[in-house]
Amino acid sequence: MPEKKLTPLLAVLLAAALVLVLFPVFWIVMTAIKPPTDWNASPAIWVPSAPTLINFKTLFDPDAIREYGVGGVSQAATKAVWGSLLASVTATALSVAIGLFSAIGISRYGTESTSTPLVILSGRMFPPAAIAVPFVIIFSNVGLTDSYVGLIAIYVAATLPFSTWMLKSFVDDLPREIEEAAMLDGKSRLAAHLTVTIPLIRGGLFATTLFIFILNWSEFMFALVLSYTNVSTIPVQLAKYVTATAGTLYGVQAALAVLAMVPLVAAGYLIQGHLARGMTFGAIKQ
Amino acid sequence: MNRSPGPQGPGERTEAHDVNSSAATSPADPALTAAPPARGERIGLAMVLPGQIVSLLVLVIPLLVALYMSFTDWSPTRGSLFDAEFVGFENYSELLVWDTRFLFAVLRTLCISAVCLSLEFVFGLSLAVLFMRRFRGQPLLFSAFLTPMMILPVVVGYIFWMLFQSGGPVNQILAVILGPDVVLEWFRSAPLAVVAVIVTEVWHWTPLFFLILLSGLNAVPENPVRAAVILGANPRQVFWRVVMPGLKPVIIVAFVIRAMEIIKLFDEVFMLTRGGPGSATETVSLYIYKLAFNDFQLAYGAAAAFLVLLGALGLIHLLLTPVRNQLLEAR
Repeated sequence: MPEKKLTPLLAVLLAAALVLVLFPVFWIVMTAIKPPTDWNASPAIWVPSAPTLINFKTLFDPDAIREYGVGGVSQAATKAVWGSLLASVTATALSVAIGLFSAIGISRYGTESTSTPLVILSGRMFPPAAIAVPFVIIFSNVGLTDSYVGLIAIYVAATLPFSTWMLKSFVDDLPREIEEAAMLDGKSRLAAHLTVTIPLIRGGLFATTLFIFILNWSEFMFALVLSYTNVSTIPVQLAKYVTATAGTLYGVQAALAVLAMVPLVAAGYLIQGHLARGMTFGAIKQ
Repeated sequence: MNRSPGPQGPGERTEAHDVNSSAATSPADPALTAAPPARGERIGLAMVLPGQIVSLLVLVIPLLVALYMSFTDWSPTRGSLFDAEFVGFENYSELLVWDTRFLFAVLRTLCISAVCLSLEFVFGLSLAVLFMRRFRGQPLLFSAFLTPMMILPVVVGYIFWMLFQSGGPVNQILAVILGPDVVLEWFRSAPLAVVAVIVTEVWHWTPLFFLILLSGLNAVPENPVRAAVILGANPRQVFWRVVMPGLKPVIIVAFVIRAMEIIKLFDEVFMLTRGGPGSATETVSLYIYKLAFNDFQLAYGAAAAFLVLLGALGLIHLLLTPVRNQLLEAR
């Protein structure tokens, strides 16, 4: 398409769209640094006069907020933060490792049937509430209820289609001749893949890892129905805070929300060139 | 840790075995550059095996259990699943014939999806077309516009729950426009709650349409566009007659990807309204969740889920047929 400049009218429209997109982010960040007196003020306060980090402190030390005369934070979010980290990091590593070998296998040896895409899509479309039901039953029979192992197993399976197909699209971009040259030099197939293929797609591997991390870190439903006392993740803790206090602890909840979204937004910016590829199972490359 | 690494073990052992045997033969293998020989197929199988095993254990088996369950009258208070009475298609006929709450949840999800996807498409395409023009700070603005889709659905739901409070900023802004007497109770009125859900969803996922459509626009070949311009087409004609037809596969991919996710709409609604007021914003996913985990009608919920899956598969199949090759790249 011919490149044109932005007319003033279009520039105004673009600026308006930008405000709409950024306002909710602005709001949650501002709420997270409001002192308790500003939380529920009416009319709502947009920018706190005395910004504070007390809300973040309260997440890890529930009594910290008492200096403002506010009680009612029953639980620290420490366990949820560690739980989220443990589940997301482990599941991401496993999903990417398994997906990497599947990707090379499918891309180089064509070892998948033509019905595979349909199976993957079906798995993605099945309402998670319903797939959680058999998990509750199976896990209670094998002793994995309320355990990180069970949660991680589900996360790996749920993100495996994404990691496999995203990585496959990176392997597909690589000419076969490079590996074949290494094989002619006397390397075995597996050695050629380990020393040639994988190092050459390390950029894609990095992007895929962050993308899978985003998916795992965001997951809510499975964690909600499979966690009781041992297991907790940040999204579940956020929902618990809102339920337990009818949502009146605005500042503390907002602090947890900000804590949850900062790593994801950072990861997202880092791999923004590959987001389309990840979201579309490698169908769209950019 | 006895589940996830388990499947990996056998797969890797097979690979190691293959390395030893192929190291002896491959240097002399003359068919190396030709079609993959039998040995290659075996190592290929070994490579995809761990993934297949994980999918089988953690996806296929639970699906089969759920399928069996949907033909029984099981609930957790009645002991083991295998003692439950087999009731045939009773759950399914109940859902299809008598359960109006299910019917309305399906229709509601379809309506909300249709409205959301249309709005996301229009906004995303407009934004993508704007980004085809040249202006300063474009890379920075590109990142800024992608921000919403990187935020967790639960957090997005929570943010908009705050924004739509009766004393919240949305009402403050509306008061400036409509006068101070207008105080909307967003979560107490059915139509307003639906609007809140749609606004949230559109804000969250318009960036995905923008991203996919922009990469599609960038890939439209230049020569047909130049030819059309030289032949005297005006910009409007160029866009609708040359650019848009080329963009069709990308548009369908975007719709399929989003449709797959939005029929499962749960997290945002859970945080915003829990399906309320009444059942005004109850999506199918939320209904199944309530059936299974509030009312403990697990078998019935499983049946509902399979009906949703069948419907969704049919719908996506229709959408997908014209672009099957672009999506998931058939070899």
